[in-house]
Parts: sequence; structure tokens; C-alpha cells
Amino acid sequence: MGWSYFFLYDGSKVKGEGDPTRAGICYFYPSQTLLDQQELLCGQIAGVVHCISDISGSPLTFVRLRKLKFAIKVDGDYLWVLGCAVELPDGSCKQLLDQLIGVFTFYNGPVSLAYESGSREELSAGWDTFIEQILSNTSDLHRIFNSLWNLDRTKVEPLLLLKAALILQTCQRSRHVLAGCILYKGLIVSTQLPPSLTAKVLFHPAAPRDQEPPPGGDALQEGGAALPPDVQIRPVFVTEGEAVSLHEFPREPVTSTPASAARLQEPSALRPPKGWSTPAPKENNPGHTEAMAWELATTPEPTSPNTVWPDGSGENGHWYGRDWESVGPAKPRHSARGRGPGLSRALVKEPGLSWGKEELDLSEIHIPEAQETETSSGYSDFPCVRAPEGADPGCEESGSDSGSPEPKSPKAPPVGTAIGGLLPPSAPEMLVQNGAQERLGHLSGDSSQAPVPGEDHPPARTSGPLPACCSDSGQTGTELPVGGQREEQCDDGGPESRPGPGPECDSGSADPPGNSPSADRTNSRSAPTSSVGLVRMNLYTHCVKGLVLSLLAEEPLLGDGAAIEEVYHGSLASLNGLEVHLQETLPQDQAAPAPPGRAYSFTHYDRIQNVLTANLPQVATAQDRRFLQAVSLMHSDFAQLPTLYEVTVSESCALMIETPRLLPSLPGTPPRLCTPAATPSRRPTSSSWRRWRGAPASRVRRTVPSASRARPGRSC
Amino acid sequence: MKCVLVATEGAEVLFYWMDKEFEESLRLKFGQSECEGAGLPTLEDQLSTLLAPVIISSMTMLEKLSDTYTCFSTENGNYLYVLHLFGECLFIAINGDHTEGEGDLRQKLCVLKYLFEVHFGLVTVDGQLIRKELRPPDLEQRVQVWEHFQSLLWTYSRLREQEQCFAVEAVERLIHPQLCKLCIEALERHVIQAINASPKRAGEEALHAFLLVHSKLLAFYSSHSASSLRPADLLALILLVQDLYPSESTAEDNDTQPSPRRPQSSQSIPVQQAWSSCSADPTGRSSAGTETDSFSPAEEYFTPAPSPGEQSSGSTVWLEEGTPPTDASQVQVAEDTLQTLVPRSPGPSSPRRIFLDTSVKENYCPMVPHTMYCLPLWPGINMVVLTKGPNTPLALVLYQLLDGFSLLEKKLKEGQEVGSTLRSHPLMGDLRQRMDKFIKSRGGQELQSTWLEFKTKAFSRSEPGSSWELLQACRRVKRQLCTIYRLSFLAAAPGRGGPHLPQHLQDRVQTLMQEKLTDWKDFLLVKSRRNVTMVSYLEDFPGLVHFIYVDRTTGQMVAPSLSSSERTSSELGRGPLATFVRTKVWALIRLARRYLQKGYTTLLFREGDFYCSYFLWFENEMVRVARPLQDGPEMLSFPVTLGSLSPGFCSVCLSISSRLWWS
Repeated sequence: MGWSYFFLYDGSKVKGEGDPTRAGICYFYPSQTLLDQQELLCGQIAGVVHCISDISGSPLTFVRLRKLKFAIKVDGDYLWVLGCAVELPDGSCKQLLDQLIGVFTFYNGPVSLAYESGSREELSAGWDTFIEQILSNTSDLHRIFNSLWNLDRTKVEPLLLLKAALILQTCQRSRHVLAGCILYKGLIVSTQLPPSLTAKVLFHPAAPRDQEPPPGGDALQEGGAALPPDVQIRPVFVTEGEAVSLHEFPREPVTSTPASAARLQEPSALRPPKGWSTPAPKENNPGHTEAMAWELATTPEPTSPNTVWPDGSGENGHWYGRDWESVGPAKPRHSARGRGPGLSRALVKEPGLSWGKEELDLSEIHIPEAQETETSSGYSDFPCVRAPEGADPGCEESGSDSGSPEPKSPKAPPVGTAIGGLLPPSAPEMLVQNGAQERLGHLSGDSSQAPVPGEDHPPARTSGPLPACCSDSGQTGTELPVGGQREEQCDDGGPESRPGPGPECDSGSADPPGNSPSADRTNSRSAPTSSVGLVRMNLYTHCVKGLVLSLLAEEPLLGDGAAIEEVYHGSLASLNGLEVHLQETLPQDQAAPAPPGRAYSFTHYDRIQNVLTANLPQVATAQDRRFLQAVSLMHSDFAQLPTLYEVTVSESCALMIETPRLLPSLPGTPPRLCTPAATPSRRPTSSSWRRWRGAPASRVRRTVPSASRARPGRSC
Repeated sequence: MKCVLVATEGAEVLFYWMDKEFEESLRLKFGQSECEGAGLPTLEDQLSTLLAPVIISSMTMLEKLSDTYTCFSTENGNYLYVLHLFGECLFIAINGDHTEGEGDLRQKLCVLKYLFEVHFGLVTVDGQLIRKELRPPDLEQRVQVWEHFQSLLWTYSRLREQEQCFAVEAVERLIHPQLCKLCIEALERHVIQAINASPKRAGEEALHAFLLVHSKLLAFYSSHSASSLRPADLLALILLVQDLYPSESTAEDNDTQPSPRRPQSSQSIPVQQAWSSCSADPTGRSSAGTETDSFSPAEEYFTPAPSPGEQSSGSTVWLEEGTPPTDASQVQVAEDTLQTLVPRSPGPSSPRRIFLDTSVKENYCPMVPHTMYCLPLWPGINMVVLTKGPNTPLALVLYQLLDGFSLLEKKLKEGQEVGSTLRSHPLMGDLRQRMDKFIKSRGGQELQSTWLEFKTKAFSRSEPGSSWELLQACRRVKRQLCTIYRLSFLAAAPGRGGPHLPQHLQDRVQTLMQEKLTDWKDFLLVKSRRNVTMVSYLEDFPGLVHFIYVDRTTGQMVAPSLSSSERTSSELGRGPLATFVRTKVWALIRLARRYLQKGYTTLLFREGDFYCSYFLWFENEMVRVARPLQDGPEMLSFPVTLGSLSPGFCSVCLSISSRLWWS
């Protein structure tokens, strides 16, 4: 199911009769193909594309031969063609091609520009390494599903994943940085990026390409010398859609809060709302850690980590102290100044006022005028999250006023009238938990500093983690105040970094909606690529042995030495730690091959995160190939028929089952997960085959009229 | 937006068919580019201009890569092109309205090719000859031939969309044992025996007779001497009958459809819209035979122009593309022999020459000439009688010789057998013996000289011809044999004045049958619409929505009726539900076919609220259910198309029955 050919053809170079076809061939894979053959394929296919598009009035996308199929994309004068085996479903073939094109444009900008400015040889060399990388890293299954490569999460300590997610969040708080992902030996450890971008980052070009002068010449002046070791920053091009999603991304969890809060009761149902995050580890209270992990990953950029910490600490406090070198040990001391204290301050002091006041603060200080409407509308979501915190104090009082409808805890106040309507169904529970926290807040003392304008802002935006934290404290807090306190302390660990960069980050973070359009505009203006809707960004990569931290940042990052330093130092220690741990856990796993004597084959494809799990060995046996064939058939049907739920097919000797299910708790996004497709070996399948032919068959058979013994038949 | 094109390697159009929308799109395209004064090129030329690059490229790929295009699809599947190379002819099917999938289009091409075979028999073996059959130099004749096949394609498209039996390619029977028995007796005594006992039958022998109610088979009787009729052939015959006498509901449908069954296909030539008018007013022709002359489609065949200069451009192109010049003389020979053809006599109800597969004395012989008499009893009810002429044995001999030479040609092409090895090959000895015998009995100067030429090349020890020379000689002999076949069976076709049953005999049989069935007529017409009802199954299978049971051994199917027209309603009633179920069933058939091609004999899936399943199983006579023939590779190598009209599948297995079960 591999590829046979891939080529890029520039039709503008071959206009006249005398022009040789080879003049138009920009790149051809495999490069050792005879030139005549190259010319034949390019010439014929270009001709057919032209002809068919002319007749049909819509661009040709597929050309199928008896033993080959070509996915085709026309981009102005340029023609991208990918030749695949016929068994590969059309959809997968097309996605593969799109991915190839996507990666090329990501690193080189639009193709016309790249080939005008760069030399063919260099670009071809880039292609060669890149294609080699893809081919060596992909299996047939990957090609069918076009999935990404995740670290085998069953073999990694879940906390490491958590840690990776936290590193990303920390980085996100730095200026310009939008989102990123962490890779280990080419596998995704954690990502905040949408799958399409993750894929592009995943194919980070190897060394040779880094010596190329980046297309946007300004890189050299600042970058070269100033960059810390192992760090590279290069300009990249993301599509406008991706750019928008990157900028919007931080607000994502906020809007989805009601849902996620509502989902708290059933942790197993927790899934990322949109899908760009790491799948959760399975071990150790699966539901919980899972929920936490993704929330961490999806946490908006300027998140104060403390909102996250409670979970980690509550469950795994020990882990912090030991592993989180940079932050961990130091944190508890600062707990008093963290958000927690801030909260408690709010609690103790003018409880009712604090809510309103902070709201004022927010709108006045952080949100530019232009954004006011947007934020205020955004508030409809905020209260859901903030309610627990902000309302708590008020509730304490109002609780005494109106009496608590909450049977669980006398202290748990009813929902504030102002926000009542906005609270999600589970809000009371959250309140209870916050009540617990709040008491802790009292315990920890009222040592708060002067109100930081943005103080409440981050928590509000971290709506995602918050529920998780609540649920956590709900478990532990009520019965164990001490544990709770500890949690609170850890909780506050993060914000230490706040005072300095905090406000900046905040304003930065609050701004994106305001900033991004202008940024886009300037970017696209500065980039020569504006015409094709590409936005220039910077890709910051930091390699620590096998571990790669990739961050997408807005363009100014390259010139902003301070910001780079900040990102670098903010993540270096934790990256080192993570690398060591991954190295410790992973190698022995890799040594172990696929489990011997597989009784069945299965594959699980997560369409949301675009991640694949399977138990197929690297080298496919005949049976595996049949399995793959069935999988690819079914996959293409699932892609085509939206109402298709389950498919079972059977050869005479094999049975395949594929069941995509709707996730119960995700309204709006109907993701489909394929659960096991099994190929039991001969015996079981034939039995199932036999079972099925049973009753109805004989019945219908019997009712077939045997009348009129005419003879239109002989056994043919 | 549908189109079918058959073209030579040189992009010469041998046949085309298109619907109104496609024609319109062509007009738009060419209307802009061409100046009005010069007049638009004919549709044929437009198509050829547009698709020539694709055809040429396809041939280039085949030559250089030994692989060629099979399918193109444009963005979102807006347009789908399916290409299939049969011999030297490239068949292209185009769909631009999402109504047909790749499988459907390929099926359509296979059916078209099959129809060519039914009409031209073994002449299809020779690329040059079939080219001339499909594209007579005379414009008027060409239009007639094309119109005929265009009409057949329209009928096929309609039947496939409306009739379950054509969707699954199996014959549907009218279930009424008592009536069926009565009819079989009548067919035996009053048709087959009556005809064969008649002294005036002109050497024709009636073999099969059957009754059709719309597209469903009511009764079928074969004489004892006849070999059985393949389901595929029976389906093709039903298609022909439906094309001649479209059933009532179809005519209604046609009235409402925006595009007529057979649109005016060429503006330049006035065409008799005979069959269209017939379909528009089917009731007017209730008493068959009397009005037949009024709608004669003038199905005349051609007499090709003798001048090689006016030869079809296709062969010139072919020559340019490397065929040796020696071929030109061959073409000349072929053309000379063609001149003796007599035009066919008009009239749709006049007998037709068709070629059906038979097995004579255990010998399989494809494309044996038959004569088909379609005798309409009442609108919607038709009787078909098949006879064979006295010269049928010739067909068998010719087939065996052609088969031998084809095999030889294949071996020569592969370059295996040269010189002495070839001479000593058992096939050669056998072939030589039979050929000598044939020439002795048949004579024929050209054939004799060609055969001599071949013999010197193949058998002379002194100067053995090269493999390439042999190949050419072999081809020439083949062409000569084809020419003889053509002269004997196509040129002397009953429609062209060849021997056939006298009209009064046909009339008598027709009247007899009408008398027998007159009481049943109305019942039959209703019954054909409600053949099998779902009600009887619901008790045993609650929740069952629909099923189709196909027995591939006999090529028959059983399924509850699904109404296809606006007026009649099935159990599901009319309107959205019935339409929905219809769409589902058709989609399931398509899906199941796709999986079956990949070797999956069981398919179960759940779509929305419906569970659909498809099973293919194997039975032999002793055991109710035999194991699936072989597991593994054999199953995976099912031919591309399945079903009766496009055969190939059944030969793989001893006996197959498959069923589509849908609940």
C-alpha cells in the first residue's frame, strides 16, 4: 500500500511545442526513475488533467490505472501528483497528498515562491529527506488512516504526559508563543496543535535543511547568535484557517465549559471538546487523570498553572516535589501569594463586591474597547466557571440569607442570583467543592497582596482544569482539610512566575482576539505569500536528545531575545527531566516486539485526535494484508456514509468488525471512534459465517416457488 | 449528465450515447468556440475532439507502461469517467450528476459490450470487422445502428434503476404455479410443437418459447433438442423486448420524465423516431402485427463503400500506428466480401438475428446464431420464440477454428512458439486438419489463398516465416473466418431477408396464445406489479423491511415488489417511505457488489436505524449448505463485474446462491 510515485510538475515551463517535458519536472520521487519514464508520467498525466478538467469544468482529483492510482492537485501552473497502490482508499490517498503539500508549504511557503527563490536541488534534497522520513515512519495502517504517531501511552507513566502538557502550558505563557507540541523520537508526547499542524511539525526537517537560509531573511540578523544551544527558530507558514484556530484556541475550553462541567459526574466520558490534545493515560484512576491530562493540554495559554496543580498535587503531590525541579520545590513557599490566597482574600473581604469589582477590572483594564462586546458576550461563559470562585464569597452570605438548598454541605451556598441562570447543572457540586477550598483559603490565611488586576482572569479562563480540580477537592477536600491545604499550596505553586511576566502575558492573552487580526494582517503583508492565504509564523524548536519541543509563535519572537530566553529557561529543566524519564521507561518497551502469537488483529482509530492504535506488526503477513484491505474498505465507507454505524464483513475465512460510536457527551461534534476490528482466525469466523446463514436463509429458500419447472438455467 | 463512448485506438468514434444534459454541455462548450456561420460540428465530432487526448494518452500508457487508465474522478466526485478496453475498442462511460458510481458505469460498459456480442456474434472477435459493423461509412446506416444501441442503453438504464431484477441481474419470475403450468403446456403444444411440425418453417427449428409480463418471466419452455439458455442471455432478451415494447408504466414514466427515452441524437440527419413514438403511445398497438409497418425503424444494415480511399479513418490511423502495410490488402478483401449484404427488412416485430451461448453435444459454443421472434400478446405481455437456422453447425465449426487461431495468435504474441516447436504443437496439427477439412467443404477463394499463405509460413521447412510474419498471417486467416461467419449469419439475417418463419405461422401462434391467456390477461398485469408481498414474511421475520433472494445457479431472484412508478403503489405505499427504501436497496446492492469484488461474501452493517446484510453462500445438491468453495486467494480474485449480464463469476463456483437480506 505504499507509494509508487510523487512528483511536482510546473506546467508553465512547458508551454511551447519545443519545450522538453523535463523542464517542468520540479521534483520526482523516486529520483532514480529513468528520465524517460518521468517525462512519460508527467506529460501524460498533465495532459489528461488538462483535458478532463476542461471537459468537466471541475479539477481532476484522481486518475486510476489498473495497478496504480494517482491523487492529483492542481495549484495554478503547478501539478502535484501522488501515485499510490490501488488498494489505498481514495480519501486516504488524497489526504496523503494534501499532507505532503501542507508540509512543504509549512516550511517553504507557497510552492511557486519556493521554486522561484530556492534552487531546485536544495528543495529536492529537502523533499528526499522528508519523504524518506515519512516512508520510514509510516505503516500501511497509517497510510490508510493518515494518522499521527503517538507515543504508546500504555507504556508511559501518565504523569510524564501530564508533565509534557504542563511544559507546553508554561511555554504558552511566554510572549508570542501560541501553542506547541512535544515529540519524543518522532512520536507525539503531547500536543496542543490541531492534527493538521501537528503533522507538519512532526516532519520537522532534519539537519541539512536547517542550514538553508530561511526564506524570510531577517532570521539571521537576530537569530543566529542570540539563540540558546539546541534551539532553532525558523519562519514557517500556516494557512489562515490554522492561524485563526491557533489564536482562537486559548478560548476554546471556556466556551466548552458548561459541557465539560456537566460531564464531571462521568469522568469516563471526558474527552477533549475539539480534539487537539493528548489522549489520556489509562493507568491510575483512568477517568480522572485522563480528564486532567487533556484539560491540561487544552488549557489556555496564560493559564496560571496553579489551577492545574491542585489535581496533580492532590493526587500526586510527591511527584511534584521530586520531579518538577524548576517549580516544584520552590512553590509551596509562595503559596500564600498565589491565586488561592487571592481567592481567600476575596472570600474574606468584600465577598459580594469582589465579583463585581473584578469584573469591572477585567473589562476596563484587560479588554480593549473593541473587544468589549466580545468579552461581555464571552462572559456568558465565564460565570459558569467563575461562579464557583467568585460567587462563593457571596454565597457564604447569601447562603445564610436564603438558606441553603444544598443538602450536601451547609456551607455550600445557593447559586448567586446574578449568575444562577448561567450555571451548569453541576454547579452546585462545584460550589460545594469550592466551599471546601474556600475554607482552606481561610486556613491559609489572608496574606494576599494588593489585588492584581488580572488576578481572576486566568482562573476564569482555565475553566477546563477547574472542574477537574473541583472534582478532585470534592473527593478529598471535604474529608481531609489537611490534604486539601496541601493541595491548595501546591495549587498556588505556579503563580510564582506571575508577578513578573504575568500581567504582560495576561494582556497578551486577553488580546489575541484583538491582536490576531492585525497580526495576521501585518504578517500577511510582510510575508510575500499573502496571496495564497498563508500566515507567517515562527517555529521554535528545542531539541533535548530525542525530545523535541516545538512551539508555534507569532513572528516577533525571532527578534525578541528576551522572550526566547524566557521560553528557553522556562522549559529547559523540565525538558531535561522529561527526557530522562522517557528514556528510562521507553527503551525496554521498544525492545519488546509485537506480542507473539496474536490471536486477533485490531486497530483503533481516534478520528478526533487523529491517532491510531493497533497491534499489527511492522512487517505485515498475508493475513495482516487481508485485514488491512478490509480496514481500508471500511474506512472509506465510514468516511462516505455519515449514518453508517457498524460494519461486519467476512471472507470465507475471516471476520472483520468495525464499530464507530458516537461519544455520548459531545454535542455538536459527532466524532467516530472505530473500536476493534478483529480478524479471528479461521475457526471462529467460519462459525460466525455459519450462524448467519441460518434461519432466514432456509426460510426464504423454502418459500421460493418451485413451480413451473421451466429450464432457463443450467449451472453456469 | 451521462455519456457513453466507444472509440478505436485512433479516437475514431464507433458509438456514442448521451443524455440531454450532456448534449447541452457540449453545445455550450462548442457554441462559444465555434463561429455560428460555420455550423456546429456533429456531436460525434465534438466528442471525438474532446476525448481524443485521453484516448491517445490511454494508448500511450498501455504501450509504454503496460498499464492504462481505468477511472478518472474530479473534485467531490462531480464527474466520473470509467474506461475499459475491450479488445481494440476503448469504452468510456461518463457521469456528471452523482447518480452512478464507478461500479455502475463499468457495469454499463460491460452490458454494452455484451449487447454488441448479442447483435454481432463472433464478428466482434475481429477489430476491423466490428469497427465497420458499428460505424458503417454510410451516414444514414450509421445513425440507424447507433440509434438502435442508444435506445437499448436507455432501456437498460431505465430498467436498472427501476427493476430489482436488473439491479441484481437475475431473472424475476411471476409467482403463480397454476398459471405457469398452464402456460408451459400451451407453449409446448401450441408454440414449439406447432412450429416444428409445420412444413413451412423454412428449415427453422423452434427451440425456446417464453412469456413475459412486463419484465417478469411468466413461463419458459425449451424443446428437448435445445440446450439451455443462460440467465444472462435471457436477461438480454428481456432487455430487447422491453426496448421494443416498453411496458405500460414505463411509458407513463417516460411522459413525465424531462428527457425522452431516446433523444434526437443528431441534428444533421433526420431520424425516424419510431420507437419513441411507440413508447409514447403503447396502447395504440394492441393488436400486434397490423400496425407494425407504421413504426418501422428501418433497421437497415449497410453496404460499405467499395473504395478504400473512403475507408473509415480509423483504419488509416491504425495503419499509421504501425500496422504493416500488408494489412491494407486484407481490408480490401474484407470489403469486397461485404458488398453482397442485403439490407435488413424493417419492422421491430420482424425477426431478429441474435447470438446466444449454447452447448452443443457437450461442446460449449458461444454466440450461436438464433432468430428471435417477439410476438406481443397485449401491451405488457409478450411472447418470445427463439429458433435456430439450418446452418447452425457451421457456427460451431467456425467458432472452433477461430478459437484455435486466437489461441495461436496469443502464443505468437507472447513469442513462445516459433518454428519447429510451433509446428509440432498438438494444437497446430489439430487446427491444420480441421482447417483443411473446412476449406474442402466450404471452398472460398480468399480463405483458401490466405490459408495457403499461412501454411507455407508455418509449416514449410525451407523458409520458415518469422514469428511476426506468422502472426500477421494468422490474423488474416482469422479475419477471413470472421468474414465467412458474418456473411453466413449477419448478412443472411432474417431481418435482411434471410430465412425465417413465415408471417402466417407467427400470427397463428400469437393468436393461439392470446386465446389461451385472454381470461388471465388483466390478472397478470396486476400480478406483475404485486408479485411477492412482504406480508407473508413478516410473521416469521418481524421487522424485515425488504429482501432480495438471488439464486445464481438458475439466475433467478425473488423479492417483494417495490413500486417504481408514480401510479402503482406497493405495500410500502408511495411517496417518501417507498422512495427511501428503494434508494437503500439500490445502495446496498452497490455496496455489496463492491465488497464481493474484494472477496467478502458476508457484509453486515448498520446504517442509521437500519440493519443491512448481504450473504453469499454455496450449495450443492446433496448438502444444504456447502462450505465456501475455497477460502483465500480464489475468493479474492473474483472478476471485476458480477452478475448475469456481465458474466464471469459463476464459472468460478459449482453452484452459488446469494441473497440480499435487509431488515
